[in-house]
Amino acid sequence: MTTRRSVLGAGLALSGTALATAGCGVGSVTPPGTVSIYTDNPGWNASLQAGGAVLRRRTGVGLTPQELPSTTSFQQVIKASLRTRKTPDLIKWWSGYRLEDLARTGGATDLTDIWSAAEKNGWVRPTLRPAFTSGGRIYGLPMNLAFWVVFYNPKMFAKHGVGVPKTWAELEAAAALFASRKITPFFGTTAGRWPAFIWFQEIVSKLDPDFYERLMSGRARYTDPTAVRAMRLWKSLLDRKWFTPLDTSDSDAASLLKQEKLAMLPFGTFINTNFAKNGMKPGVDVQAFVLPTVDPQTPRSVIFEASALMLPRKAPRREAALRLMRQWLAPEAQTAFTYGLQDGSPDPLVKPPNPLVAGLLEQTRNVRLLNRFWESSPPALVESAVDDLGSFLLDPSSYPTVLQNLQDKADAEWAVWRNDS
Amino acid sequence: MTQTIARPDRLTSRPRIVRPRSSTQPVGRAASIPFLAPAVIFVGVLLVYPFLASVWSSLFDDNGFTQRFVGLDNFGKLVADPILARSLLNTLMWVVGTLVLPVVLGLAIAVASNSLSRRWGAFVRGAIVLPYAISGSATAALWHFLLESHGAVNQVLNTVGLGGLTTSWLLNWPQNTLSMIVASTWQATGFSVILFLVGLQSIPRDTVEAASIDGAGGWRMFASIIFPQLRPVTVVVVGMALVNSLKSFDIIWVLTQGGPARTSETLALTMYRETFLLFHVGYGSAVAVLLTVIVIAAAWLYLRTQLPRVR
Repeated sequence: MTTRRSVLGAGLALSGTALATAGCGVGSVTPPGTVSIYTDNPGWNASLQAGGAVLRRRTGVGLTPQELPSTTSFQQVIKASLRTRKTPDLIKWWSGYRLEDLARTGGATDLTDIWSAAEKNGWVRPTLRPAFTSGGRIYGLPMNLAFWVVFYNPKMFAKHGVGVPKTWAELEAAAALFASRKITPFFGTTAGRWPAFIWFQEIVSKLDPDFYERLMSGRARYTDPTAVRAMRLWKSLLDRKWFTPLDTSDSDAASLLKQEKLAMLPFGTFINTNFAKNGMKPGVDVQAFVLPTVDPQTPRSVIFEASALMLPRKAPRREAALRLMRQWLAPEAQTAFTYGLQDGSPDPLVKPPNPLVAGLLEQTRNVRLLNRFWESSPPALVESAVDDLGSFLLDPSSYPTVLQNLQDKADAEWAVWRNDS
Repeated sequence: MTQTIARPDRLTSRPRIVRPRSSTQPVGRAASIPFLAPAVIFVGVLLVYPFLASVWSSLFDDNGFTQRFVGLDNFGKLVADPILARSLLNTLMWVVGTLVLPVVLGLAIAVASNSLSRRWGAFVRGAIVLPYAISGSATAALWHFLLESHGAVNQVLNTVGLGGLTTSWLLNWPQNTLSMIVASTWQATGFSVILFLVGLQSIPRDTVEAASIDGAGGWRMFASIIFPQLRPVTVVVVGMALVNSLKSFDIIWVLTQGGPARTSETLALTMYRETFLLFHVGYGSAVAVLLTVIVIAAAWLYLRTQLPRVR
């Protein structure tokens, strides 16, 4: 009895040492006459189906959205699948360095001809071209055009006699007034890790858009004076307790805006779906403005974000996918897709889906577009950087150490990046 | 006293069969190979091969696409990483926390509910055991609702006039790690309760009755009679808790993702981050090797000191 029980116990304990690894398969059934597109965002399915219906009429090829469980496992599965014959037909990916990260492996298809034809037709903004370029060639088509702006509740602003800030001084004055009335001036968070960069990208770009681009591309340093000034400015806002708790999610922030407990919410326009869920009508219950520059004479800029429609070189239904992609940017297809997203479109011929986006297009006319932090540096660098920026948010006085850590990581990752080129 | 009567006639009538030893042993040994093969193959394919593959991978600089042999560089970088100390400390906190809390609570709840009436005992056990059926991720989602700065815990504290006790449970170390250990305890205690109940119900009734006759009761009964007989179950419960705590992942990933700023990261999180977020596959494998070595060493040391030697 004792011997048998001991052996059983040993077996149970030892079996616990197994380190199980759960794998995600990419295999799925795609209806005939359609190509599959893999995304990390289930909220896009309806829009993709709407756009897909138009594309089927124009090309004979339909679109079947497939979602993978989370952004992280999505990246893992896609990267692994590109080396095999079990890739998806199409992939919703990121632009900038993340697209380049895939393109230079040889796993993506050159789409330069498709882009050139679209540009000739006036179906795509030429200014977006660099975000989809690697080694001088195009490897993705833009799927959306989100602007990173500041959302606010116009009724609450009117109630408190606050106008839309046109200068940084007006922004701080508005924040001080709201704070004095127990309303949190700004949304800031580390929930989900990545949002830690939001205020950093906004402040740096509003101090000096040229410096922002040089910093992102490794031609300026995180220890340079402009970066230091940005952190000090950010710290001065944090020290005044003008931000939400760091674990506030963006969907909670949308609720706070409606409840008039939060004044200003910097985020990408894809957050519109969260406002809709709270019963907020764009243009009526929620509006948006571009963050003003810190110094009045600084050139104005706005951060944008555009997802990339990518075609793996080994896509199973490659020719069908190419036929679909040639019409992806056609105004009719983009209209169906964009109205589902309630966001901006990379096609300037598409009418804005709501007054908020229309207003932003007006505000950003002739304003410089800068790609988001997340897409603007090597992936390994930005993934590490958001943790460093998170440590700054926990302890704002740590900014000198944080900037040095950021630069140390930048040195290491840029060396790796350039060596891999 | 009962008298035992010998039966000499049966003993003498039983024939003694002599087998040829020289032909028995080789056959016996060879015959066991087919029966052992499936188990050996199973362990080899699912356990040994992946581990060796991880060791091999840890010798390369690998970004998921291209590989470059770097020998032990990844382990050198691992030792030099300042976050490793925090990761190890958090992992140690998880080990201590999940040894003490679920095991002790599980034992207390099992003993208490075992002595309740059938109906009340069943209700209490159900309430405690049910969370064990919930996945780690679901547990984390529930506790996120409780623990975030605007969450239920802080709201309740404010409501009952204890606003001074409110804090950002998940934002600062060590509160974030301790809070998650509490959440994990809530989920995992049920497992201990089940095993201890099985142990309690397998204790021979006569030992309890004998002690009762001798006047033992309450704590003395538990400490001297019941707990020693739970030793085999305790060994298993503690062993499982030890191994599981070293691999804590899903609750941490959903609640804090090892953050903010990596303050609540454990070794399992470090491994995941390096491999799947940063695509430092070789470095991530080095962390995996370290974690595996720690787990196996801990399990082996524990079993070695706990299991009685078979003579």
